[in-house]
Amino acid sequence: MNLLAGLIMALGGILAVLAAAGLHRFSTPYARFHAAGKASPVAFLVTAVGASISLGFAGAALLVIASAAMILTLPVGVHLMFRAVHRTTPPSLVIDELAPAEQAAQGHQR
Amino acid sequence: MTTLTIGLFILAGLIATVRLLIGPGLAERIIALDVTLISFMGAIAAHAAHTDSTTYLILLVVLAIIGFTATVAAARFLQHERNAPTPAVSLSHNRGAL
Repeated sequence: MNLLAGLIMALGGILAVLAAAGLHRFSTPYARFHAAGKASPVAFLVTAVGASISLGFAGAALLVIASAAMILTLPVGVHLMFRAVHRTTPPSLVIDELAPAEQAAQGHQR
Repeated sequence: MTTLTIGLFILAGLIATVRLLIGPGLAERIIALDVTLISFMGAIAAHAAHTDSTTYLILLVVLAIIGFTATVAAARFLQHERNAPTPAVSLSHNRGAL
């Protein structure tokens, strides 16, 4: 059981290294946010599963609360960063679905 | 095995810190800081399994919520750059400046 927990936690560590390498591998800010915002919470979740197997119910309760807080909040933060980059830099995208939506929202405000 | 996991998470934090130092643009630095924070959160979880104690696990809950607050505050700060008529310092184009 302890070896299983260690293997799952090591898998989470490998995923964290891949998430950090994705920040260097991709060239545009959107692709970098994609790598960082998807892979790093998954790395933490896999490690939390391994630590829960090792620690028992007392540790698993706290890890479930921390994982739920991360899963609920981190995609929202990364999408806010996507929107901030889209508003501040000139977009060079193939398909840009956010620009007409934001123009419609501004027209509705005025 | 838990020692290996802690080492892998510290390696991930160091790789993300390199992007934090060299990355062009404020937004990429904020995301790199977020990846560093999550890497050290995973290291804390692996350390709790290593020492078999649940003392530091409440720190993970606090760090998850504080990390979200920091990201949202930085994103709201960053997107006000467009509305400024003539910004003195262009925050998203400070290439090379630490």
